[in-house]
Amino acid sequence: MICIIALIVFSILGIFSATHRVLAKEALDCVFRRVTLRPCNTGFNEKIKSQLVARLLNRSVFAARIFNKYFEVFSWAFLILMVASTFWVVKGGYNYYLYGSCNGLNQSGFCAFDPKGENNKVTEINVQCPEVEKKEENVTLDNVDLSSFPTKNIGSKNTVVLIGCYECDYTRKAYPDIQKLVKEQKTNYTFAHYPAKETTNYLSEIGYCVYKEYGERFWQFNDYLFTVDKVAIYGKDYMERILDNFEFDVNKINQCLNNSETVDAVEYQLEQLQKTHLYGTPTVFINGKAFVGPKPYRVYRTEIKKFIIF
Amino acid sequence: MLNYEKIKNDFPLLSKQINDKKIIYFDSSCMSLKPRQVIEAMNEYYFEFPACAGRSSHRLGELVTKKIKGARQAVARFINADEQEIVFTRNTTEGINLLANSLDLRNGDLVLTTDKEHNSNLIPWQVLIKKKGIRHEIVKSNDDSVFNFEKYKELVRGVKLVSMVHTSNLDGATIPAKEIIKIAHENGALVFLDAAQSAPHKKIDVRDLDVDFMAFSGHKMLGPTGTGVFYGKYNLLEKLEPFMVGGDTVEYSTYTDHKMLQSPEKFEAGLQDYAGIIGLGEAIKYLEAIGFDNIREQELKLNRYITEEISKFPKIKIIGPSDSALRSGIISFYIDGTDMHQTTLILDEMSNVMIRSGQHCVHSWFNDRKIKNSARVSLYFYNTMDEAKIFIETFNKIIKIL
Repeated sequence: MICIIALIVFSILGIFSATHRVLAKEALDCVFRRVTLRPCNTGFNEKIKSQLVARLLNRSVFAARIFNKYFEVFSWAFLILMVASTFWVVKGGYNYYLYGSCNGLNQSGFCAFDPKGENNKVTEINVQCPEVEKKEENVTLDNVDLSSFPTKNIGSKNTVVLIGCYECDYTRKAYPDIQKLVKEQKTNYTFAHYPAKETTNYLSEIGYCVYKEYGERFWQFNDYLFTVDKVAIYGKDYMERILDNFEFDVNKINQCLNNSETVDAVEYQLEQLQKTHLYGTPTVFINGKAFVGPKPYRVYRTEIKKFIIF
Repeated sequence: MLNYEKIKNDFPLLSKQINDKKIIYFDSSCMSLKPRQVIEAMNEYYFEFPACAGRSSHRLGELVTKKIKGARQAVARFINADEQEIVFTRNTTEGINLLANSLDLRNGDLVLTTDKEHNSNLIPWQVLIKKKGIRHEIVKSNDDSVFNFEKYKELVRGVKLVSMVHTSNLDGATIPAKEIIKIAHENGALVFLDAAQSAPHKKIDVRDLDVDFMAFSGHKMLGPTGTGVFYGKYNLLEKLEPFMVGGDTVEYSTYTDHKMLQSPEKFEAGLQDYAGIIGLGEAIKYLEAIGFDNIREQELKLNRYITEEISKFPKIKIIGPSDSALRSGIISFYIDGTDMHQTTLILDEMSNVMIRSGQHCVHSWFNDRKIKNSARVSLYFYNTMDEAKIFIETFNKIIKIL
């Protein structure tokens, strides 16, 4: 059994070292003989076994004796462990490619490809006494009314919903990829501002009013809010100048903001967003499937294209 | 008295290290190390006079011819033979095949060997059984692995050729060659000695032994690989029909006929390994300078120590006579039911101790006794007591896990 393990290990090491390439070849010969039901008479097994026993013997006679006596058992155990770990590595790689996390969609936990967990980080939101537990699988668009949120490309086959906040770093990180996705794939796109941070709460109402009063021009304004330095949107004081720069009628916007209907509408929007049971921003829904945290672009694209590269 | 500083200086490998540990080479029965002098003599040929011997009359050709003659004289002196009785071969195996294919053996002729023959002195006769219908008998050793003289006396009657290993590579035991030859001659048999393991370790006088044919290898006695010597009494060599002929074996040829040269030329067909032969001559000079008394003394001392130490473990079985003095520089041992390959590999891995394991080309002996294999320590004069101690120290650890 040791020759199978050796073949895999030495094949990988052989990519970098000629010495290990020779060993990999020996191991291959040994494996070939074993699978063709012939004894491995190359001495490879003995060589590997002896090298391991010799190293152990320099440290502990007892350990060397046990290892030597039960070598075949250890070999099987190592093989099973290797097969299992290979399976998990492949599965991890597959998950990482598809979902940006080795552990599956929206699953946190260590991932060698994303050791800092950047693809799952969110700006947490504080919902007092949430109706359901904060869990990935509970995040849903079921029974959520998104009709009042800014929407474009209506009638497209695929739907993307971005729930984020203007001030949040992770939403800002995901935002360009979502725009690219919407542009390239021409998807139905809905944006919803969730005020995860108090300093920019007021932007929900402003966004609502801009969309209500100026329709498609909202999107340019939205792009600006996500790309401008965060300091520029921390307070209402700057906003009039920004609105003016976009040649929006500030008075008109203010009238809208002062309208009680606006307050009700924004409250209604917030209620709808809370119905998604989201626990952080950004949360992106692609055709109803939730992606929590800023995923790599390929993750979003793969969900739309529905094909797997490897 | 051996000068180890000089010896260490002469053998480059003895100063080398692997993983910061010196190499301990205990496999000289298979292949001896080569002193610098041998390597330099061979290099000199390639650098200074890389020409043909015995053919070209230019100065370089003459020089090579002279060097080859010098090597042949050195070999002749080494075994107390005449120059014309020395035939250069590639190795002992080729020497035995030369004899087997050149001697006039016919249907029913009997060849007698021991039970510890190297395949090289077994297979050629088995082939002739099929080819010519000769017969082959074996003199089985006594239980203590010593040559069974009584059995030999019974079997030698009517034998055409007694072909025996002088010193066995299996256990290092040496047969009483002189007495064996005397009795063989009394019974009208010719005698061939396989001296591959004896020539490097003891003084052989072919005149004193009165042996008819003998072969040995250069690579086991400090010489280069691919060199060997076949000795035959001149009158017998003249009667042998060479089995390999061609360039440099004939005086002249026509489209229909040729005239063979005399011995040894008629046996040395084609271009020879001149560099190797020159190296072999140099190896013999080196051995003579060291002296066989010194060689034997060192081998016995080390063999005694290693034998005593490994004999402390009851499960270890040493092949051959229990008296280390009767086993030259060889200690071949095994443990029932244990594959000794692992032992040798671990010795190498742990302490750079290089010994051999397997059936040592004496498969017949192992198969007859149903012994899987053995580990073999084979010593030479360049080995030291310090090395033997490292071997024992490492072996003492390994034995605990076997």
